[in-house]
Amino acid sequence: MQKHDPKYVQADDMELIKASLQGDRLAFGEIVNRYKSMVARTVKGMLGDTVFAEDLGQEVFIKLYNSLSEFRGESKLSTYIQKIAVNITLNEIKRRKRFLSMFSHSDGSEIHEIDIPDTDDEERIDARELVTKALQMVEPKFRVILMMRLLQGYSTKETAEILGLPIGTVLSRLSRGQEQMKKILKGL
Amino acid sequence: MKKEKLKELIIKSLSGEEPDHDALRQLEEAGVSYSFSDDFAEKVVNRIYSARQSEVINVDFLSMFNRAFYRIAITGIAAIILLLVSLYISQGSLSIDSFFGLGDGFEESILCVLTGN
Repeated sequence: MQKHDPKYVQADDMELIKASLQGDRLAFGEIVNRYKSMVARTVKGMLGDTVFAEDLGQEVFIKLYNSLSEFRGESKLSTYIQKIAVNITLNEIKRRKRFLSMFSHSDGSEIHEIDIPDTDDEERIDARELVTKALQMVEPKFRVILMMRLLQGYSTKETAEILGLPIGTVLSRLSRGQEQMKKILKGL
Repeated sequence: MKKEKLKELIIKSLSGEEPDHDALRQLEEAGVSYSFSDDFAEKVVNRIYSARQSEVINVDFLSMFNRAFYRIAITGIAAIILLLVSLYISQGSLSIDSFFGLGDGFEESILCVLTGN
């Protein structure tokens, strides 16, 4: 396990970026340690809790490393990483949709049924499994908004900034996504 | 957490313009959290720096190849110049034929060699 190096535990993000650009792998390891949970929530929340999601998480940090020299510090590093994670994940969803469309006539926009074990209402269930499966059944353009609210706790303004969308669009998608989520949860 | 309570929390946390941090905290406490494997950071760092290492090796090989190519090219040009000078000294003039070692009887010689007559 890449441990938190004492040298960098107190360092701010810009210091870590500078050190990483000079080839200090411990500094970049610290960046990964700081933001891996955030990336995990995005990637696994959007794609499901699979080993493949972990590979995609690695891609996020590799892309971050390759674009570190372009980071000017105008936004928070977390916002910058979140943008990369969302873009990579949405591209992967599009790629999968294209792949699936080669084998079916579905346009992929309908809500997909995913098997979830029947449980009694009173029975305790795996909360993460329920949230993950419900999110997978929401259309991707609404899913990303729900994920950012539900798993990351982003405000509407932050979500709009990260996705590059007007606040009105985010609110409208949040509302429509919430309606989809209500229908999905009724069936689970 | 019971299923219905969980569903309520999910809907509650999605309602309103701003996030309901209390509902989100309850969801997290109920187990709605995600993480990568323990050695995730190590894997990422190893992937990045091993890729950089192989890039460095590639660049080293290419620059070595370039240097060797220049040396061979310069030696070849020097050899051609020496040949031209020696031809000029021995024959008093330069022509394409003399440069390639071709004489008047060249075609006949070739025919003799090819036909054996």
